[in-house]
Amino acid sequence: MAVSRFSPRAAALALGMAIAGGGTPLLAQQAYTIHGRVVEANSLQPLPSATVLLVGTQLGAATDNQGQFTIRGTLAPGAHQLQVTHLGHARVVRDFTLGTSLNVDVGAIAMQTNPIQLNEVVVTGTGAPTERRKVGSTITSVPGEQINNAPAAQSVDKALQGKVIGAVISQNNGQPGGGVSIRLRGTGSILGGAEPLIVVDGVIVENNSEALVSLGANAGRGGAALTNSLSDIAPGDIDHVEVVKGAAAAALYGSRANNGVIQIFTKRGTTGKPSVAFHTEFLTGNAPKEYSLNASPTAGRGDVLYGGASALGVPVTRYNYQDQIFQQSNGAINQLSVSGGSAATKYYASGQWQTQTGIVRSTDMNNFNARSSLTQTLNDKLSFTVNGSYIQRKSDFVPEGEQTQGVITTLIFTPTTYNPAYNPTTGRYPYSPILGTNPLDVIANWKAQDNTNRFIGDFSTNWTPLSSLTVNYLFGFDRDNETFYYYQPPLSTGAAFTGSVQNPTRDVTRFNNDLTLTHEYDLSRALHLTSTLGGRQTSDHSNVLSANASGLSPGQTTVGSGGATPTSGQTITDIRTLGGFLQERLGWGERLFVTGGLNYEASSAFGSDQRWQLFPRLNASWSVDQEPFFAGSFLGHALSTLRLRAAYGETGGQPPSAYSIFDNYAVASRAGKPALIPGSVAGNPELKPERQREYEAGFDAALPDNRVALEFTWYHKHSTDLVLNTPLPLSSGYSFQLQNVGSLTNKGVEIGLTSLLLNRHSFQWNSRLAYSANDSRVDKLVTPNDTLIFGYFNAVAVGQPVGEFYGAYFPRDAQGNIVYNGRYDANCNVIAGTAGIIPSAARGATCKTTLKKFLGSPDPKWTLSWNNDFNIGSHTQVSFLLDGRFGNKVANFSRRISEYFGAGASNANEQCVVSGGTTYCQETLNADRHTTYEAFVEDGSFVKLRELALRYTLDPSIAGRVGAESATISLAGRNLHTWTNYTGIDPEINLFSANTVARGVEFGTSPIPRMFSLGLNLNF
Amino acid sequence: MRIRLTFGLLALVASAACNTGLDVTNPNSPTEQAALSNLDGVIATELGMQDQFATSFNTYVRAPALVTDEWGTASKALAADISLFTGQGIDASYGVVSDPYYFTYRIARTADAVINAVPNISGITPGFAAGLTANAKLFKAMALGMAAQQYAQLPIDASVTGGTPVPRAQVFAEAIRLLESARSDLAPYSDADLSGFTSRAVSTGFDVRNTIDAMLARYYLFTGAYQQALDAAKRVDLTKVSLLTYPDPGINPIYNYGVVAGYVAPLKSWARGAESGDQRVGFWADTLAAPPVGTPPTLQLAQFKLYGTRNAPIPVYVPGEMRLIKAEAEAQLGDLPSAIADINAERAETGTAVTPGAQLPPLTAVQLNTKDKVLAQILQERRYELFAQGLRWEDLRRLGPVVGVQPRVDFLPMPQAECTTNPNVTGC
Repeated sequence: MAVSRFSPRAAALALGMAIAGGGTPLLAQQAYTIHGRVVEANSLQPLPSATVLLVGTQLGAATDNQGQFTIRGTLAPGAHQLQVTHLGHARVVRDFTLGTSLNVDVGAIAMQTNPIQLNEVVVTGTGAPTERRKVGSTITSVPGEQINNAPAAQSVDKALQGKVIGAVISQNNGQPGGGVSIRLRGTGSILGGAEPLIVVDGVIVENNSEALVSLGANAGRGGAALTNSLSDIAPGDIDHVEVVKGAAAAALYGSRANNGVIQIFTKRGTTGKPSVAFHTEFLTGNAPKEYSLNASPTAGRGDVLYGGASALGVPVTRYNYQDQIFQQSNGAINQLSVSGGSAATKYYASGQWQTQTGIVRSTDMNNFNARSSLTQTLNDKLSFTVNGSYIQRKSDFVPEGEQTQGVITTLIFTPTTYNPAYNPTTGRYPYSPILGTNPLDVIANWKAQDNTNRFIGDFSTNWTPLSSLTVNYLFGFDRDNETFYYYQPPLSTGAAFTGSVQNPTRDVTRFNNDLTLTHEYDLSRALHLTSTLGGRQTSDHSNVLSANASGLSPGQTTVGSGGATPTSGQTITDIRTLGGFLQERLGWGERLFVTGGLNYEASSAFGSDQRWQLFPRLNASWSVDQEPFFAGSFLGHALSTLRLRAAYGETGGQPPSAYSIFDNYAVASRAGKPALIPGSVAGNPELKPERQREYEAGFDAALPDNRVALEFTWYHKHSTDLVLNTPLPLSSGYSFQLQNVGSLTNKGVEIGLTSLLLNRHSFQWNSRLAYSANDSRVDKLVTPNDTLIFGYFNAVAVGQPVGEFYGAYFPRDAQGNIVYNGRYDANCNVIAGTAGIIPSAARGATCKTTLKKFLGSPDPKWTLSWNNDFNIGSHTQVSFLLDGRFGNKVANFSRRISEYFGAGASNANEQCVVSGGTTYCQETLNADRHTTYEAFVEDGSFVKLRELALRYTLDPSIAGRVGAESATISLAGRNLHTWTNYTGIDPEINLFSANTVARGVEFGTSPIPRMFSLGLNLNF
Repeated sequence: MRIRLTFGLLALVASAACNTGLDVTNPNSPTEQAALSNLDGVIATELGMQDQFATSFNTYVRAPALVTDEWGTASKALAADISLFTGQGIDASYGVVSDPYYFTYRIARTADAVINAVPNISGITPGFAAGLTANAKLFKAMALGMAAQQYAQLPIDASVTGGTPVPRAQVFAEAIRLLESARSDLAPYSDADLSGFTSRAVSTGFDVRNTIDAMLARYYLFTGAYQQALDAAKRVDLTKVSLLTYPDPGINPIYNYGVVAGYVAPLKSWARGAESGDQRVGFWADTLAAPPVGTPPTLQLAQFKLYGTRNAPIPVYVPGEMRLIKAEAEAQLGDLPSAIADINAERAETGTAVTPGAQLPPLTAVQLNTKDKVLAQILQERRYELFAQGLRWEDLRRLGPVVGVQPRVDFLPMPQAECTTNPNVTGC
């Protein structure tokens, strides 16, 4: 197809020939068979799944388990090139010549580890699979081994922690299967979601984070789920993960990509004899620390007030029952997979079973995953793939957080003179004096169980009608059924409590149809044009049905049909989208690639006038090292690789509700008759997607020996048309309308430094340092003076980061001392009064509640992670990952509550005064301090020893005794240690889970366990 | 357009047999357009309007009861309630300030929606249509009339861009106009003609015709149109009651605020101000019950009696009010003997389970020998007959000067939320 010189006529001719299905036959072609073997350069171990392409053709193959490949094709004799690519290795180009022999062995091709991985093929957001070096936007790839080998991660999201620059991945909660929140380059919305779009093998999967039953944060706070959809894919099934962080890279996903995209690619079959892999892992863990509670031998004010002592100062017995709340967590993961296939048929099948008890008693999780993938090649032009995965998960939780029935909640709300032990005389667990519920009763007798049944599958075909044209079609399907069962026995929260059963279920059916046409065309020898035209249609249907009952009869544990007072509810939501895109990539040799594209998309959630939206994108990638001048210049001496890149893209976000464009009437009843009431939220037919415009630019560079590589990216994300509740006049008969009024900006840098620090014969040290900094600022709200409060005191205000804490602060004198009993000016400055932190009856006017200030942001100013891999000898690997966040604040509400009710460690030494017959204390029942949130905002910077692993590969002779080809034993740990000045139990957890704005609040939820694992991998 | 076509076609090909429609409907609740397009939807909306009035009735009572001498605030009460009770620091951003205003226009908007929709509904008898329209006018008038007792100025219509506030006298005039219009809507039809409407679209226990006349009497009296007030009051059938009912899962909003939340309760000083033997004190309040938890001893609170249970109905008006309107109108028109006769008829009432009866002996023409004495007596009777009906504030404005009593606060301020969003509101 090579055209010697560019001319329109030649181009037209070439195109015509291409469409006619032929190239330019210069010499008599013959049917050749080319085979060879791809190995890892250091270990000389075979490399499966490497992609081998015959340059200048569409012919190619992937290596099998033994690293072997075979390419058959009708080719002209003469000089040819094979290009070999593999994730994590440098691209290799091998010259060879086709001669008289029709069976050509090119031998072993060794691949070196490449720190930059510019030749890695990326898919997410690129229209068609493309080498990274051709794309001007950043796409992060995490190879499967890093996920499979992540110690005790149990799910992909946790395995990704610390491995994606610019992603802040936090486990919100330590309960088994506890949810994780992922922020890519900051928070880009206010009322909308902030979690990225999740795609599994091209299937846009459901990622609703709404809790069916609120067990942590209260209902109505949104985004407060304990689980998330990423944990529905078994880590062992993952081939690799791609992360695109902003509009510049994610523009292809148009109107739902404002928060970035995470795409999971699952393992596929490889040709060769069946390969069986067995993985088993035992896990054990515990709480990283206990809550420090009041251990004073004498009674304090809280003990007296809540019935634990008769008078201040009398000797008391204290109860620390944390050993009856926390336990050692134990678990196991077993996975068996088999893959193999012939040239035409490839298969992969796996089953995984996972069980885990939580660090809080009575919590656990049981997972069963099954997955299969089948690829069938019908002929050299057509192949299809069917993937299916099924997961069944059962998790047992306990209520916690701001739930008054919470287990840890009761611990921090109750003076330690309370003895929760079962009372055999009364036959009951005694009520706790403040909240009522007994935490040991909850552990013993309550039930909070989540059951998930989920199928994710896809069917895709790849048709190559012409060597220059590829047609891909994908049908993706996601069916997710989640049922929650929450049983609170009668009398368990108080003498008047009649018991309650809540049994909601959510059914989500989601599918997408994607059609993509890719056409390759050489405009000239140097200029190459890749055109992609695609269409996508999606549909989401969600049905949430709840059945609840109160007033339970003794022994009744279901909603039942009589006796109890039943209530029920249902919400159905449908969102459909339709769209298409056109993309052109112009490549000038191997040097410069410019890509431009346009998405045109519509969503049913928007009014017909605003429905169709255009999302453009443009990016450029310039491989300076390919320029003729490079090698001779000083740059060429200093660097082996240099690529400059820049990208711009726009994306959209879906509205907070599927039906915001309508004036919806609320269903009600008037004295037993069905009634309708006009909604208080005015419909807005002009509503349109929130729009993000992102610029990014950066470079990739490597030193000549490829031992040190540097990536640098600067980005600027401007999110506009943010949907906010805009108040309408009271005399309108509405309260507000959702309008596109807000805007905010995130900007920052990402720097990755990868190096092979040591490369001795028997010792190698690979290190990767990832730094990112993000600065977020709200630019515009409905009015400039608005301060929107989410959760307790996460605020959204113009000029401040999204979610910055905003609360009351201490009145202080000129020396900075707190002055409670004085007179203050309008700004809470002390006019008169002496330093003191105990309020008294004679205190002057206070300024505690009305005046507030910004107290810091829950988001880190910068993050730094440091990953190290050591290869010692040929059998041993050691790795560790340090994951750090800096400059983030955490609201320690656990401490706030325990100090107020006298349960905190510091209550033991607090000072009290008696004034006017009443006792006033420094902490206990000190309402001034309690409402002065400044007292509880702490520096939440931390460094966690996220991962530590030792892997030992047994000698093949030993492995052979059990019939295995190879065997690896691993001993690993996760979250083993946290270095922090934060005084609470864990600076990473958040009461409000994946909530967009309410973040960084630690309040009575399980800490993230410290986990150890012992694993064995066998390959047969 | 061409791009849209190209992409649309592509996607259509891709989507094969799947449903791609972008025009979705909300399956959970109808849109306004859908709700008002048929008779069942209009009936449901009419009932929803009545529910809005019934469930927000507390907001029409709260400020008038707290700024006068009916209710006190328990110690757990909100700062907003306390500000009304003390008359100090009433903030325009408080819910107690904005709630009556907000709910009035919520109700007015619903009423307007029904009034506009009825002419387009086919297959409906003229009586049914007249009933739907008249009742919507009645509820809009009641909402406006109740609100006009709390604010000096307010708009007479709901408007998306914000209505233009007018002096409250004009609001009372608009309420009267709506009520007269409702009355003439119903005039051509017999109760039998209206039976379909009454059985399907009227909240159980509510009497549309008598309530229209009762409200006419009330607002004519407030605007000084004494003859019209007298005529309207005479038309009200005093043997009938008109109720807002709260069967489960509904809840009486005053019970909810006073007893469940425990924010407010009747003042014992109100009970002590009654004439000895007045049976109405015990009808409205339980002076022997323990006050809400945490009430300081310096503030003596009773508990609610009629509204002391979850499902207790609220009378929209009581027969005694009609007798007292007649008496006040007659006194103002110079007919003191008739006024005294009506006062005594009201004092002699024995009441029912849902309406009060004073069961007090008659007063003589000697005791009430001047117009001021008659008016002072009417004010005293209204204080006990109309407890927590939301009328005390207006009564003190009208008759307080006769006895030298003034409410602590003149009017609620214009709500902050209206000030900042309604371009037609100035000077706040």
